Amino acid sequence: MRRFEFLGRFSRNRGALVGACLILVVALMAVLASVFFPTDPLRIVGQPELWPGEDPEFPLGTDSLGRDILAMIVHGARATLLIGLFASAVATLIGVGVGATAGYFGGWIDEIAMRAAELFQTIPNLIFVLTIVVILGSTLTNIVIAIGIVSWTPIARMTRAEFLSLRDREFVQACRSMGMGDFKIIVAEILPNALPPVIVLSSLVVAGAILFESAVSFLGLGDPNVASWGRLVGDGRQLIRSSWYICAIPGVAIMITVLCLNLVGDGLNDALNPKLRDR
Amino acid sequence: MSLLSLKDVRVHFNTANGVVRAVSGVSLDLAVGETLGLVGESGCGKSTLGKAIMKLVPVAAGEIVVEGENIAPLQGAALAGMRRKVQMIFQDPYGSLNPRSTVGRSIAQPMVLAGWTPDAIAERLETLLGWVGLPGDARQRYPHEFSGGQRQRIGIARALALSPKLIICDEPVSALDVSVRAQVINLLEDLKSRFGVSYLFISHDLSVVEHIADRVAVMYLGMLVEIGGRDQIWRTPQHPYTKALLAAAPIANPKIARSRKRTVLQGELPSPLDPPPGCPFHSRCPIAEDRCKVEKPALRSMANGAEAACHFA
Amino acid sequence: MAAPPLEVQDLRTTLFTRRGEMKAVDGLSLSVGAGETVALVGESGCGKSLSALSIMRLLPDPPARIVGGAVKLNGRDVIALPEDGMLDIRGREIGMIFQDPMSSLNPVATVEKQIVEVLMTHTELGRGQARARAHELLELVGMPDAARRLDAYPHQLSGGMCQRVVIAMAIACSPSVLIADEPTTALDVTVQAQVLALLKKLQADSGMAMIFITHDLGVVAETADRVVVMYAGRKVEEATVDDLFEAPLHPYTAGLIGATPTPGAERAARLADIPGMVPPLNALPQGCAFAPRCPRAMERCRTERPTLTAPAPGCLVACFAAEAG
Repeated sequence: MRRFEFLGRFSRNRGALVGACLILVVALMAVLASVFFPTDPLRIVGQPELWPGEDPEFPLGTDSLGRDILAMIVHGARATLLIGLFASAVATLIGVGVGATAGYFGGWIDEIAMRAAELFQTIPNLIFVLTIVVILGSTLTNIVIAIGIVSWTPIARMTRAEFLSLRDREFVQACRSMGMGDFKIIVAEILPNALPPVIVLSSLVVAGAILFESAVSFLGLGDPNVASWGRLVGDGRQLIRSSWYICAIPGVAIMITVLCLNLVGDGLNDALNPKLRDR
Repeated sequence: MSLLSLKDVRVHFNTANGVVRAVSGVSLDLAVGETLGLVGESGCGKSTLGKAIMKLVPVAAGEIVVEGENIAPLQGAALAGMRRKVQMIFQDPYGSLNPRSTVGRSIAQPMVLAGWTPDAIAERLETLLGWVGLPGDARQRYPHEFSGGQRQRIGIARALALSPKLIICDEPVSALDVSVRAQVINLLEDLKSRFGVSYLFISHDLSVVEHIADRVAVMYLGMLVEIGGRDQIWRTPQHPYTKALLAAAPIANPKIARSRKRTVLQGELPSPLDPPPGCPFHSRCPIAEDRCKVEKPALRSMANGAEAACHFA
Repeated sequence: MAAPPLEVQDLRTTLFTRRGEMKAVDGLSLSVGAGETVALVGESGCGKSLSALSIMRLLPDPPARIVGGAVKLNGRDVIALPEDGMLDIRGREIGMIFQDPMSSLNPVATVEKQIVEVLMTHTELGRGQARARAHELLELVGMPDAARRLDAYPHQLSGGMCQRVVIAMAIACSPSVLIADEPTTALDVTVQAQVLALLKKLQADSGMAMIFITHDLGVVAETADRVVVMYAGRKVEEATVDDLFEAPLHPYTAGLIGATPTPGAERAARLADIPGMVPPLNALPQGCAFAPRCPRAMERCRTERPTLTAPAPGCLVACFAAEAG
């Protein structure tokens, strides 16, 4: 019954519904890429720099080397989404762990955690990501870790805030008065109540992660074996004056995906935050 | 041997503005099968005292003796025995249950922590729900599906799970409507006559305490100012603060309300960060004298059998 | 004969929500004379607070809206007044004080600024005169060390002191009607006694009419001249305070009184509780709203809705069992 309540509240937000549908489309693209475009998208298949619509075989045209842009977009969806999801997972794990501990125990643990968060927040995000990638090497794993390291602080703050307010609630006192241990209280009692706003934030971090990855790839520091959308934008850099569609098409794909993730985040907020109901 | 015995219990909080002496030297005894009412206004320390007994706040000094065992210095697993004997029910029916746990899971928590088998728990759950007057299918439902009064019953069921000897009731009916209040009070009394459980009933509502308590203790600014049998306190209050409290409490009877002589207590509660020296009440007391400003009175026996902390009562 | 300061006739306020329309106030009529205190009593959800907000035209819209009836302030109907007309009246002819004094005051403005704002909005006083008057008002409401407290911020004052400031603001322009919505519920017992005594004194001095909303029957017994009991949005009984407590006619009133512990009463082992719960407003039973919980319910009660009758002068009750005697 709660599932239906949740879906009902989510779908009341039209934007969120549209966003969710489009994300589903992107996800399907990622999963079924090999079905629709069985050949390696990085193979040269046609004349270089064909505009979209010029040749019916390549609906979105070809890039500077003659590769099918549509195939690269569809395959790139997988890389892009995976990066977004994993980076968000890394950020969420670190953020929730730090935030929950800081919020629940307070005192010097909280002080240290918050100073650490401030440290991470003062370093400009993109530069930090680039630095880590340069140091560790341009592999997908490293990029995901780098983005996760940069994105955990807002999640930590949100989690901490939720824990601060929940920790003094009477049901938590009841658990303590029963002799429940701290770890169990944090994980089994408080965390399920603290998660809804954190989930919303995590969905936004996915969007942010995609943008980070795009920037990293655009600057040429991305994983050379992965044709993510950011990489596509980067590859088209040289021809931006003449064949600008090579940059624009993956750029638009990134933009739409990020926008849809934001809409979904909004919808999740409406669905998971009962206080805003019946507005 | 009394069930609960407090000896000079002190609870301090360190705040940014200084030390708050929430409880400063409270001693009292609670016998088996007795309901002791603990009354006072905000800041008197009654809720803090309840939490200190439950070891939810650290005790700075003094002894808390439960059936002969001093639990004040104990921590963690050593308290397991005490937790079976003393349980607590809370004020806020909306905050005292985890909104994401089913009712069954919330009530079962003390049993799970005590290591009961799932079968034993399920059986006991059935019994508990019956005792508090909730339907059996309540166990799969969530707190938000229940009213305030029903949620308090769930809290009571949870407190009864391990058959405690003492239940600390921290303002259990203050957040409920009048008609629902009566239901919960009746339930508490029924449980007492059925199982012989004792209550430490903390409340600011004097009429409710007068109805349910056998003995009553009055607190002001962290100290016990009077303690005695219910009738002694109501008919012959000794301490000036007790008299003022009883005079101020509204009575649901217009004829009595009109006919009684009322001197309204003036002034405000002093800040707990900076309590006045000597008797804590002297700044508002109608019979205060110089002695009261320097010397803190100790509890002493009065003619009517109660004890009061006043130089001139 | 002059019109009573406040006369409410068949007030109807409905809540328009996604879960349906709820008649939060369903045909409430009452009148308050000069110097009189009428207590509006009921439990949560009975509509007493929304009635007060309707009278003041302070309803949150959406979801609440006045859909019928009249509210006559000194003879003049204010329901149809445009908002600027109402802005003029609120604070000047009718004042209101609320339950939580800490959240009734602006936390970033001093006490003086807030009282002066009321005075300058509704009177011709200049700033200097308004400041002096603010000082006077604080002394009038018994604020200790009034001169110093003028410069205080709300967070520096206790609950009782904040409520005094709120009262000062409400009576600043000597309104003819004061509505007090649970003004002492959030206060300690001794502070409550001070505030109730203060309100009585102010009323005696100015002759203003007062509506006192509360769920606490003890406070009703102490302050009211007449009592109106509400249940599920409707008035179910009205009587003088003595008549109500001595011989309540409606079973709900009798239930409320029975459920309230009274010191010195016969030592009964159990409080008379009312079984069941208040029905949700969007699922009211057919017939009398109280019938499912009523110890005296008859067949007729479940099908027909009782209307208010006057079994004796000065008292009204909506109950078939009461009519039958």
